[in-house]
Amino acid sequence: MIKEVMDNTFNEEISSSDAPVVVDFWAPWCGPCKMLGPVIEELSNEYEGKVKFLKVNVDNNPVVSQMYRVSSIPTVMVFKNGSTADTMVGFRPKNSLKELIDKHI
Amino acid sequence: MDDKMSERYDLAIVGSGPAGVTAAINAKIRNKKIIIFGYENLSNKLYLAPKINNYVGFYGISGKDLTEKFKEHLAEMDIQVTYERVDSIYAMGEYYALMVNDKTYEASSLILATGVSFGKPFKGESEFLGRGVGYCATCDAPLYKNKTVTIIGYNKESMEEANYVSELASKVYFIPMFKGDYDLNENIEIVNDRPVEIIGDNHVNKVILKNVELETDGVFILRDNISPDQLVPGLLVEDGHIKVNRDMETNLPGCYAAGDATGRPYQYLKSMGEGQVAALNSVSYLDRLSRQK
Ligand SMILES: Cc1cc2nc3c(=O)[nH]c(=O)nc-3n(C[C@H](O)[C@H](O)[C@H](O)COP(=O)(O)OP(=O)(O)OC[C@H]3O[C@@H](n4cnc5c(N)ncnc54)[C@H](O)[C@@H]3O)c2cc1C
Repeated sequence: MIKEVMDNTFNEEISSSDAPVVVDFWAPWCGPCKMLGPVIEELSNEYEGKVKFLKVNVDNNPVVSQMYRVSSIPTVMVFKNGSTADTMVGFRPKNSLKELIDKHI
Repeated sequence: MDDKMSERYDLAIVGSGPAGVTAAINAKIRNKKIIIFGYENLSNKLYLAPKINNYVGFYGISGKDLTEKFKEHLAEMDIQVTYERVDSIYAMGEYYALMVNDKTYEASSLILATGVSFGKPFKGESEFLGRGVGYCATCDAPLYKNKTVTIIGYNKESMEEANYVSELASKVYFIPMFKGDYDLNENIEIVNDRPVEIIGDNHVNKVILKNVELETDGVFILRDNISPDQLVPGLLVEDGHIKVNRDMETNLPGCYAAGDATGRPYQYLKSMGEGQVAALNSVSYLDRLSRQK
């Protein structure tokens, strides 16, 4: 399951998690984001209990997007202990995302 | 909706040069449902060759005549080339999604036969990709609201993208890499100079040109040719060529590559041989796939 977060709930969601947090920065007008959505959804089910999955709509949440300097979407970030541990820009096949996540478990 | 879109092809071939055409013919012989994307001339590299002396059986033939022979062969086998440029391809797991403008095609297997595109990346381009450097201005424009954007444009379409960005960004520089009339909004500043390097700290902050430097928050590079790893995100590319093994397999399951796209030598017969190997292995892949179901 992927939880939608906003500017004002982001920090709380990130810092309250002991597990790694994967954040998908997306927007409704972005084609590659639409393709990545179902792939992330599948992953969130496979990693249930081990990794937390969040998504941020950059249109509605400029503060977080600016803070992490998201300049191209989709961007997937992995957070550990409240700070960014990895970033992946652009669509990626499932296996590449798995490799990225596995590094941090 | 177009019906083409709702059905899933067994195999999609991207590129109608010697490699792609050979792949199409061999996959069709094996009764696969295929679609091949390309151009009416099939390949300009073939069409424009004055005289070919190393194509076995056709000593001294011209590129034009050989193109005609390819076309006759395709027609004979009832293969129509789809005259569309594929913009991007996504590995969805069980299938590939091919985007053409606003249309989507689906295929279980893929052969990349796109040829080579010349032109090296700028210094700093790969380093800052996703940190200020991008290839689709219209896609990422909203992220540059009230910021400065520089566009390096290689074609007419890049001007449309620049115009769109100029409605959101506070400042747009346009660096034309082609000659002709520029049809740009008034608030866009044209910079006639040669880009040399993209620099920054964690994020892009400048484009260095031969004579001037531009402070900028983002740089979009809009070329004619899409490099293979931009076309297929996640595809492994080494030194500008798609990495393949002897079976013409790439790092993505069910995705094969053939022809100039995989590396030197750049020759017809090498490309065609690879196209054939790619097609036959794609057929085995498809057969394995259907047995699993
Ligand atoms: C002037 C000239 C003379 C040559 N003479 C010889 C010779 O005598 N002997 C010899 O062996 N070789 C010769 N070559 C080299 C030969 O042309 C190439 O090795 C050969 O054409 C490569 O075939 P290919 O199918 O890999 O790619 P290409 O022939 O480059 O075909 C690729 C096709 O795919 C299309 N394409 C690319 N991307 C997309 C996309 N996203 N969507 C849809 N379509 C796409 C391209 O536009 C192109 O039509 C010559 C080349 C040139 C330029």
